[in-house]
Amino acid sequence: MNTTPFIRPCTVIWLLLIALTGVTYLVGQAGVSGMAIVGFVLITTLFKSQMVVDHFMGLKHVRPFWRALLFAYLLLVCGMIGVAYYISL
Amino acid sequence: MDTLAQHDNDSLPGDFAIWIFIFAELLVFGVFFLAYAFSRANNVELFNESQMQLDRIAGAANTLVLITSSYFVVRAVAAIRTGNSTRCVHWLLAAIAMGGVFLVIKLFEFGDKFSAGISLSTNTFFMFYLSLTFFHFMHVILGMVILAAVLFKARSGGYSAQEHTGVETGASYWHMVDLVWLILFPLVYVIH
Repeated sequence: MNTTPFIRPCTVIWLLLIALTGVTYLVGQAGVSGMAIVGFVLITTLFKSQMVVDHFMGLKHVRPFWRALLFAYLLLVCGMIGVAYYISL
Repeated sequence: MDTLAQHDNDSLPGDFAIWIFIFAELLVFGVFFLAYAFSRANNVELFNESQMQLDRIAGAANTLVLITSSYFVVRAVAAIRTGNSTRCVHWLLAAIAMGGVFLVIKLFEFGDKFSAGISLSTNTFFMFYLSLTFFHFMHVILGMVILAAVLFKARSGGYSAQEHTGVETGASYWHMVDLVWLILFPLVYVIH
């Protein structure tokens, strides 16, 4: 059985996650703040997390309910963190 | 196309029991994250000043380490789905080694904070920082133990291309440990 159709997208996702972690780190190093920055970092985090769920955990290929459940969790957590930062402005 | 990512009956990869555990863990971490965020809303200055004392390089390095470790586990699952136990064992070993790197970096970070006189009682930020990261630290150790158990069974030929539920079960738990850190890092180390 050929593993390439499965591994190649996961390798791309791995490199993408590495790059996005670098971006998040640089945002932190720049010392910038504000709701736009917090929103950018949280959306990046949501995107990264969903990549792990879809491709590493492999939930992209199971019943959509499970993927939706985890997306709802990530959206709720990142969204509520955003709300907490918004009310502190 | 026969993709290795396809599961029988479109069910969750691995044993369903581990997913009950994973969802419970995610719930606990989620509550922890929101407690941190809403506590910060009442102590913005304190949280921002305390966050400046964290080693962001160590936090980012550990994120890269866990992402890479998760990728190695993906490779281990792909290997066993083709019946290649030897390659599966090698990838699992690499993943566990990366888990070890994570623990070493974190121990240096903890040591640095403790030698600076920082403890759980220093302030609310450090109470959250130490308890959240230590709680996650313990999950990394548990994940490594699970992966090691899977590794030993794989090494003795306990899994095949047809039956490898145990590998997928361990992999799912390890990805959860990675997933939680992906939220913890920007929350505690980056955004302010």
